[in-house]
Amino acid sequence: MKFICNRFRFGAVAAAIALALPLNAAADAAYDALKSQVEALQKQLQQVQETLKQQEQQAATKEEVQEVRQEVAEVSTLQSEWKNTDSVVHLAGYGDVTYSDNQGSPGAFSGARFNPIFHYQYKDLVMLEAELEVAVEDDGSTEFALEYMTVDLFVNDYLTLLGGKYLSPLGQFRQNLHPSWINKLPTAPSGFGHDEAAPVSELGVQTRGGFPVGGMHMNYAAYVGNGPILEIEDGEIEAVEAEGRTSNEDDKFVFGGRLGVTPWPNSELGLSLATGKVAGEEEPSATRDYDVYGADAAYKWRNLGLRGEYIKQKVGSSSRSEAPGSARWESWYAQAAYRFVPTKFEGVIRYSDYDANISEMSQKQWALGVNYLFTPSAMAKLAYNFNDGESGSPADDDGFQIQFAYGF
Amino acid sequence: MKNAIPTKVYSLLLPGLVAMVTFAWSTTAYSEGGVLGGSGVMSEGDINRGATSWSNNCGRCHEMRSPTEFRDDVWKPIVTHMRVRAGLTGRQQRDILAFLQASNHPRAVKVSLGDSAPGTGLSGKDVYNQTCIACHGANGAGAIPGTPDFTRPGGPLSKPDDELITNITVGFQSPGSPMAMPAKGGNPDMNAADVHAVLGYLRESFGK
Repeated sequence: MKFICNRFRFGAVAAAIALALPLNAAADAAYDALKSQVEALQKQLQQVQETLKQQEQQAATKEEVQEVRQEVAEVSTLQSEWKNTDSVVHLAGYGDVTYSDNQGSPGAFSGARFNPIFHYQYKDLVMLEAELEVAVEDDGSTEFALEYMTVDLFVNDYLTLLGGKYLSPLGQFRQNLHPSWINKLPTAPSGFGHDEAAPVSELGVQTRGGFPVGGMHMNYAAYVGNGPILEIEDGEIEAVEAEGRTSNEDDKFVFGGRLGVTPWPNSELGLSLATGKVAGEEEPSATRDYDVYGADAAYKWRNLGLRGEYIKQKVGSSSRSEAPGSARWESWYAQAAYRFVPTKFEGVIRYSDYDANISEMSQKQWALGVNYLFTPSAMAKLAYNFNDGESGSPADDDGFQIQFAYGF
Repeated sequence: MKNAIPTKVYSLLLPGLVAMVTFAWSTTAYSEGGVLGGSGVMSEGDINRGATSWSNNCGRCHEMRSPTEFRDDVWKPIVTHMRVRAGLTGRQQRDILAFLQASNHPRAVKVSLGDSAPGTGLSGKDVYNQTCIACHGANGAGAIPGTPDFTRPGGPLSKPDDELITNITVGFQSPGSPMAMPAKGGNPDMNAADVHAVLGYLRESFGK
């Protein structure tokens, strides 16, 4: 019986051991898995801690954020001040380089010109405008001239009062079209250069502005100035110097103005008149009548620009002058320019006819040109002038020009 | 007497001065700005009127300069200078300046179609007549050089709606045009409904 019990006990222990062995193995596997998970978690925790550390190093503190906000506010204020000051200063202008080859003279790089324009404006009340001309002369010296300088007072929305040296408001070419980046040809129309038929500038006071009339717009300019002076030589009136002067030897002023109307968009019709007295520089008491008549028209339709202008200056007789007879300078031109969109090429044709007091200065001219517009204010011009003047005079010589002009 | 005022000068100067003072006095009542004060309330420039004034006046003498050529603060003295040169009114000056300043930074106006612009509340035709007509013309053929012709077969209106809506919304540079159309034609008030409305008007009026 004891033997049976022992055998049974032995069997039970053996069975228990046999059963316990697989349980131990299972516990080891669970332990290993748990250990792996803990190790993985530790790694992840380390990574998170490192990331947090990096972020702490990179992240801005509240103080730093506050500093940045303050800087942004300061910059914003400065930006606002920059844009919204009462006074503004501005530099504009234009320049050009020209090559000319005329029949009577060798080809040469004939012009290098720089015309800075200064604007100083206080609110919408006052503006000072000034243009200088700095140009190379034939002998290599530099010409320095004040083209205009005016102080403009904006009296109200329809009236501006200005004083100083101003571009002549008679006609369009001299006051608005002569800058080389605007003029479609390298040269001015015959008779519209300095000391020719069109007055260039004046020194005095001027009112100008515009106002609506029905569906149209009208603009006006009226001025009083010192007036021009006559160039008299060898008993003959050679030219009328209609450029602003600070002297008024004949003690007489010139009054004039222009009235323009824009009947359609991008069109304008204008009439100009001026009257006064004029005398020679050496004979200020020999005054004579001085009158100017002008008319101008312009129309732009899509790629086609048409314009024309007529101007006439005439002076009466004076028995006290060494050149007692009357004189007149008369000119007109018509011009068409067509832009070949979408290319940047433009074709120009212009006819001008200048009748001067001295016959050898008179000229009829056909000018043909091709322009290439790099930008709206930078263009290369190639032009040929067919000139018809007094035989043997420079006015009769044909010629061509290449010019690069840039307005800024 | 040497310094006596000559009769002709006197006869012209005095009436001239009287006329000028009368003109200044009478027009100031209708003016918003100037040294005489005007109404004392100077209104902001109107972008749409400015676009029309810009288109109707500037190309008369010179090539059209793109609004993007200058900053806001630089345009101010330029437009003031042009007011004197071209005989513009003070209001035209303010309108043109507003248009140029609104059109020279298209990115600032650039928005998605789901933008929060207030909208004009206008029909497509009215939006076109206020914002687009200055450059594109009443007949859609273009009012200034380089503006594409909507009426041309195979022209801009041959493009799909999605492309045109994007072009109107973010701006577009036409080949050969001296300036790019600003985002929404320079009118930041336009919203998606306005863009769709104006495109509908373009197709209806010029796309046949």
